[in-house]
Amino acid sequence: MTRASGRHLGIRATAYVAGEPVPFFWPMRSFIHHNPLHGLEHLPFAQAVERGGALFHANGFLPRARYQAYLADGSVDRHALAGEIDAFAASHPVAGIDLSAWARVLLEQVSAPICRPSPLVAPEQVHRVLRGQPVETLLDGAAMARAHLQAELLGARPVYDAVDALFATGIGEALDDQVVRACLGFFDEGQSVWGMPDREKGFFAAWRAVAGRRVRAFLDRIETGGPPLSPEQVIDHVMRSLDVPEHLWAGCFTQELVRLHGWAGFIRWRASATHYHWAERHPADLVDLLAVRLTLARLLLTERARPPAPRDRGDLERLIESRPEETFLRFDLHGGGILPAMAHRVEAGLARGGAGIGPLFESYIQAKRDAAVRAQARALRDLAERAGEGAALNRLGVAEVAALIAALRDLEADEGMIWLRAMEAKAMNRLLDGISLEPPPRRDKRPFVQAAFCIDTRSERIRRHLESVGDYQTFGIAGFFGVPVSLIELGKGSETHLCPVLLSPKNLVLEMSSIERSDEAAMTTLGRAMHKLKESVLSPFVTVEAIGLLFGFDMIGKTVAPRAYHGWRRQMDTPRPNTHLLLDKLSREQADSIVRAVQRAVITEAVAHELGLEPEAITDDIVRELREAALGNADLDTDLAVALSVGETRLREIVMRLRTTYRINASFAEFQMEQLGRIGFSLEEQVGFVRQALSSIGLTEDFSRLILLVGHGSSSENNPYESALDCGACGGNHGLTSARVLAQMANKPEVRRRLAERGIPIPDDAWFVPAMHNTTTDEIRLYDLELLPTMHLVYLDRLRAGLTSAARLCAQERLPSLDVTADRHDPGAAFRGTRRNALDWSQVRPEWGLARNAYFIIGRRFLTQSLGLDGRAFLHSYDYRVDTRGRLLENILAGPLVVGQWINMEHYFSAVDNDRFGAGSKAYHNVAGRLGVMTGNLGDLRTGLPAQTVLDKGAPYHQPLRLITVIEAPVDQARAAIDHVVAVKRLVRNGWVRMVIVDPVTAITHIYDESGWVQRPVAHAVREELIAS
Amino acid sequence: MATLPTYALAALFLPLFPLSIVFNRGLSALRRDWMRALVLLVWPQAGVWILSHAHGAPPGWLNVWAALTALLYAYRALAVREAGIWIGFVAVSAWALLWADPARSHLLAIQALGLSLPLAVAVLVTGVLERRFGAAHTALRLGLATTAPRLAALFVIAILAVVATPVFSNFFVLVAAVARQAPVMPAMALTVLAVWILWAWSGARLVRGMVAGPGRPAAGADLTPAAAWAYAVLFVGLAGAGISVGGLLL
Repeated sequence: MTRASGRHLGIRATAYVAGEPVPFFWPMRSFIHHNPLHGLEHLPFAQAVERGGALFHANGFLPRARYQAYLADGSVDRHALAGEIDAFAASHPVAGIDLSAWARVLLEQVSAPICRPSPLVAPEQVHRVLRGQPVETLLDGAAMARAHLQAELLGARPVYDAVDALFATGIGEALDDQVVRACLGFFDEGQSVWGMPDREKGFFAAWRAVAGRRVRAFLDRIETGGPPLSPEQVIDHVMRSLDVPEHLWAGCFTQELVRLHGWAGFIRWRASATHYHWAERHPADLVDLLAVRLTLARLLLTERARPPAPRDRGDLERLIESRPEETFLRFDLHGGGILPAMAHRVEAGLARGGAGIGPLFESYIQAKRDAAVRAQARALRDLAERAGEGAALNRLGVAEVAALIAALRDLEADEGMIWLRAMEAKAMNRLLDGISLEPPPRRDKRPFVQAAFCIDTRSERIRRHLESVGDYQTFGIAGFFGVPVSLIELGKGSETHLCPVLLSPKNLVLEMSSIERSDEAAMTTLGRAMHKLKESVLSPFVTVEAIGLLFGFDMIGKTVAPRAYHGWRRQMDTPRPNTHLLLDKLSREQADSIVRAVQRAVITEAVAHELGLEPEAITDDIVRELREAALGNADLDTDLAVALSVGETRLREIVMRLRTTYRINASFAEFQMEQLGRIGFSLEEQVGFVRQALSSIGLTEDFSRLILLVGHGSSSENNPYESALDCGACGGNHGLTSARVLAQMANKPEVRRRLAERGIPIPDDAWFVPAMHNTTTDEIRLYDLELLPTMHLVYLDRLRAGLTSAARLCAQERLPSLDVTADRHDPGAAFRGTRRNALDWSQVRPEWGLARNAYFIIGRRFLTQSLGLDGRAFLHSYDYRVDTRGRLLENILAGPLVVGQWINMEHYFSAVDNDRFGAGSKAYHNVAGRLGVMTGNLGDLRTGLPAQTVLDKGAPYHQPLRLITVIEAPVDQARAAIDHVVAVKRLVRNGWVRMVIVDPVTAITHIYDESGWVQRPVAHAVREELIAS
Repeated sequence: MATLPTYALAALFLPLFPLSIVFNRGLSALRRDWMRALVLLVWPQAGVWILSHAHGAPPGWLNVWAALTALLYAYRALAVREAGIWIGFVAVSAWALLWADPARSHLLAIQALGLSLPLAVAVLVTGVLERRFGAAHTALRLGLATTAPRLAALFVIAILAVVATPVFSNFFVLVAAVARQAPVMPAMALTVLAVWILWAWSGARLVRGMVAGPGRPAAGADLTPAAAWAYAVLFVGLAGAGISVGGLLL
């Protein structure tokens, strides 16, 4: 390895490490909920929030006033809050006052922080002001200013950012705009009509080819006539030219990447994704992004930073060292920290410059210090009066005042965790007080229907209502039903992964239809033609004039009467045919036969195309001989040339083209065999998946006649976030296919025979029926009914009535939270309201999705069956008695719980700071490159959830809590499972989830707190003998 | 009245550069916003009164000087980040335009009032900002849209009024001036339009600095609904006055 290549590897590695705090961003068509601080999960929650807040310039907790509102409405446990405050006070003793009382008043009655860290607020000066004495003159303001500026500007902060902070040059903003333009051009996935050229060469090379003259001139200059520099070389050159010490490069790169963390997260994900079509065609990684950014940053600095503004870090250091007063004034003026009363004076003084700066700084720093100290003293006095400790404050000496200020600063730094834990205590108490360990009485007959729903929080409501309207027994299981599968949908050529992103499916399922494909309906064709016209460069100008009115009718229909209009439009479109899933593994002979058939078809087409022969002239013998020759199994026969009426040379050419252009060759045939080998599941695999699914939810006996496997998905119009409302366990897709796959497997006699041998006897009259829960409307539709045994048809009417009743009741419960004017007493009206939401293109909130999620319950249904959980709980069925080795529990923790935690954290952070961690309002979103959305026409990819998903009228609708996870199992078994799953163990220990174990044997609850496990008894308990041991 | 001293005195009250410095310094020195509003209403009326007592139309060079003053202050307003000073600059720029339209001197007082009314109301709104935040300066990064949405709306409407959007009185004054001067003094009409565009540009910059972007939420930063309604009524009254002025001028 040469020294240069070693250096470039070092830069690449540094960029990789620098990008780790940036969370992945998946394309929005398969929206994946993720923790925006996933890269910091190795840290305890509080530390990660602090670090993430600093990195992303975001808040990790709600403002105090919002927590106070929660306290007022009973969402915060007062007892727990008092306990937290007392513990804090005990760890921060201040002589002479009751710190608990002060802290309680501060948190509960004062709406904003009062002790922000400031180098100007010296405790002895605060003490003087409290005594009624004036603030003393600051003796060495320049030294203070220098130290402050060095801390603020000379860390890993990019040089241009520091220049912006001092001279309002706007370089950062211009840089971000230009980088976003480059990203939009390169990463476009089919939205633009004219794509960026040369994208196959990589991001940096393609950008460079189309970049402006200045960029090319800059790069030409540093290349000095040599070959084009690699992105690593460009980064190396720019960082050296900026005079940034190498030990700061990683921090600098991180700062660069988090400025557009949406794009950086997308590029990061894309670079690591396997088999991602666009990444394979147009490669790019963070090194490319950094090279583009740094090149532009260097150029903008050169152009915009006019003296005395520095152009590199060395200049900046010298500026701070030599002119701290002026630099401090500039920093305050352009950084938002200026003393309001002196803003104009400082601005004018800086404009004049010269000798007047020194006196101006002296008067400014004194005024600012005076204001800061007096404000601090006023706040302390006010707090003391509220706490009834005014006299005590008067008695405090300088040391006590210093200790008091330090304690209050620490309290305000820690208060987010204090509030959060007190809120979680309330939510936890509510759950644990309602949990029951009393099993239901033994049934004397089997239930009418058993239904397995996704663990999604939206299933909780529909399950509860379904159980209330009849003899239904429900279960919760991850929505892919434990079968990771890749689907090639009817009429599509690409695969869709139907499983959590943590898994990579090995098996492929084909959707097929026996119905001959007919011509598209007129409306479908017309719709496509319209789309083409809209996307073209010139045609929109005339299209609007010529047929714009048609769009007007469409708009009126969608807006005024969405349900009726949608019904009418649906009649115009081609209905989707019934389909079958090719689920069984192909034998070697079957696969070979398919490959042969495909080769024959290709050869027939090729010969017709190359030689212009009619179909009847291309006999089977000709095709067979050509195939054998192309595969190298036989020599060319002269008779073949005669039959095709060509010379031998031409025949050889044709065979060669068959091998190269039409890929009739041995290696491609082998590849096709491999691909075909992925189709379907072997019988043993099918048995394994069915067994795993049924065991994991504890359904191993007492099967009813009908077992519904209910996948879920949403339906909404004009909603780029639609996939965020679909099934996360199915990779952001509808869950129906997964339900169909498992049902088809479980209904096979051979699978059942083997299951019975392994202790799961499914009776012959039990039938698994796939179904689809539309979470926007709460409708449940049954599928594959043509396969249903005739005897079961008599139960369908009753089943459909039950499902409709549950859907209407669910809509009645849910709609008032979406529409405050909804009639709370009319299920029919509510049901219609939800259907309108699904079809209304102006509806920015068709449903609340997973908002308000708070609990993840792993256990038997009776644990929470009597407890209405308001759609806030992921419910995963689990019976510890059938999981003697704990493997099922480990699987639940490793998959569904981790995904649940991602969902929970995405909602948490989107709720606490929607501007930075969330996506802002949907109303201003524009789709970018068909892969994400931006706010406005240019900006970062919005990565989190939109305001309409987590906020209601500006206030959080989603209560930001960490996921309270309950496992119903003997404590040793549960703890062993947690310890075995390293990712979950880390989440628990670092406080990213709140873990609770409810032990049915001892009837004791074990709660993991920061300091370890604490115990409390279960309120409603009947101790259960341990069956599994 | 001797003509030149009269014009010199008028140039103090319908300020022309460099006498405009006196007005701007004086306006900045006033602490109370109602006093500033009063000055904005009365000051140009004094100039109009003096001008009406001068003999004959001002000399041509004075018109050019006035036009240059209007352009200069409109241009300088682009760089101003303090709302009170910006209003003062726009006031000077607006009143300077009155010099160039001596033909209808009997309506000069109405024109001056039409230009001053939005400025006076805007200075009251600026006063609200100064009382709540210590200054109305873009360097404070107030982010009013998120921290004080009612106040943000009020501020935006005030700025829109100052930059002569329809139906405020200065809009009709400028439209009337352009309509009258276009046939006889097209260069002056173009100057008025250029000044108008510069006001709008500088107003947009000010709005961006005060209203857009993130801000620090502070309790009680925003207006109460009652106060917001009171200001809304004031603006409706201002719009009504604008329409009345328009009726007189057009």
